[in-house]
Amino acid sequence: MAAIFLKNVGVDIPIYDVKQASMKKALLGRTIGGRFAESSAHMIVNALKNLNFEAHDGDRIALVGDNGAGKSTLLRVVSHVYPPTSGSVHVVGKVSPMFDTTLGINMDATGLENIQIAGTIWGMTRAQIKNSIDDIVDFTELGDYLKIPIRTYSTGMLLRLAFAIATVRDPEILLLDEVIGVGDAGFFQKAFARLLQLVERSRILMVAAHQDDMLRRLCNKAVWLSHGSLVAYGEIESVLAARRNSNAPEQQAASA
Amino acid sequence: MLTKIENVPFTTTADSTVDFVALSNSTLKVRIAHTISQEVAAGFRAWPVWGLMGWDDIRQRYRRSVIGPFWITLSMGIFILVLGVIYSRLFHTELRTFLPYLTVGYVVWGFISAAANDSCIAFIDASRIIKQIKLPYSVYVLRVVWRNFIIFLHTIVIYIPMAIIFKIEPKLTMLYEIPGLLLVGVNLIWLTTVIAILSTRYRDILPIVGTVISLAMFATPIMWTIGALGDGKIIAEVNPVYHLIEIARAPLLGMHPEPLSWLVACGMAVVGSVFAIALMVRASRRIVFWL
Repeated sequence: MAAIFLKNVGVDIPIYDVKQASMKKALLGRTIGGRFAESSAHMIVNALKNLNFEAHDGDRIALVGDNGAGKSTLLRVVSHVYPPTSGSVHVVGKVSPMFDTTLGINMDATGLENIQIAGTIWGMTRAQIKNSIDDIVDFTELGDYLKIPIRTYSTGMLLRLAFAIATVRDPEILLLDEVIGVGDAGFFQKAFARLLQLVERSRILMVAAHQDDMLRRLCNKAVWLSHGSLVAYGEIESVLAARRNSNAPEQQAASA
Repeated sequence: MLTKIENVPFTTTADSTVDFVALSNSTLKVRIAHTISQEVAAGFRAWPVWGLMGWDDIRQRYRRSVIGPFWITLSMGIFILVLGVIYSRLFHTELRTFLPYLTVGYVVWGFISAAANDSCIAFIDASRIIKQIKLPYSVYVLRVVWRNFIIFLHTIVIYIPMAIIFKIEPKLTMLYEIPGLLLVGVNLIWLTTVIAILSTRYRDILPIVGTVISLAMFATPIMWTIGALGDGKIIAEVNPVYHLIEIARAPLLGMHPEPLSWLVACGMAVVGSVFAIALMVRASRRIVFWL
């Protein structure tokens, strides 16, 4: 069984780069009367606000929303990368995040070494990695190329390998962040088929993407986020429709 | 217009334990227990991960180099030889006692200083992984210490020809090297943890650590002996680095480290570990935002 429970979750991300600027301001402020005193420490971005949400076995959830709506932040909260600033997060089942397929990929290492390193980082055991090699060889069709450093690979070969390694896992909760729009047309079909297999093996899927057509094929539910808040959560078609409807009047207003 | 399609009520099942709650609504006791089990102990258990990461770091650094990490051995060996010959004249000590002393001391110092240097970027270096997969933070700490221990094992081989040339007889006392190195390791683990956390938050720590390390090399009896201080022995004895080096140096030279050195090293290991855990309790939920 796999499940995700989020209760009143808020995530505040401190931005420290601004601090240096504000320190300079604070110094300046002192000399010209302390007007900037309130910009004391660092800037804080409220990436998620008071989010309530739960998911269970069989849920295939699309995350939709504009850029900066909090989709990636939500995925990072579920994968325990971001601790919540408020509220609670409870996840049952092994989380398998796939935000960046090239994680752990080292250009100077050989293909086989990369499989070993990336697999280990992804939490696979030595035996699991060994068993997965045939599958990766089949999918990538790289053959003996796997024995040489991957910096000699073409971009396409590299993509195949990274994608094959990233999709070899057996996830309970699979989290995807904009990873599906990759590669040339031929590879895309193959990659998408492999991704579907991966999704089928998982109990819960959460995927953030902007392509509605793709989301319809992968998902049965959708979460609509806007400015860090949950706008709607439900059956995918109704959420996508609601989002279209809310956008339409604004666009009309803009064009008028 | 925003439509709320489905209000999701939050249900807590009786058997579910909340495993990731905000800082404000968990007690200190819960936070300490969580930090020790999830951020510290879990990292030690994940030895295949940091074991491989550490190996791979070295593999990357010396890829396509014929003698690999033995380059460090070679440069260290030459440095020790030249310095040993000059300094033994300078301090009027016998080469046959000074050179093995310098060798072991300098190699142990290399282990300590390289780990301390690397600890500044232990988390920063791994930021891509940290932002994507939740691994215990101790994994990245242990990776740094383990990587430098591998280099230490490559450099300590300089001791072997020294021992043969200067006829250092194998003694039972040399077995103290094992607890000695273990204590150095424990101290390096907490030190790396502390520096890694602080330097991730405050990027000015890195140059400070660099300065302290280069100063410590001259202020600690490594290239000179404590005897050379005469009445001023206290200068070395208040230096914790001296005791740390001594417990790993004296046994290989067939001598017993002073009880004071054992005491200081053990005391630092305990106090430092408690401090590192306390810092981790405070920082573990924030480190990812500092990267």
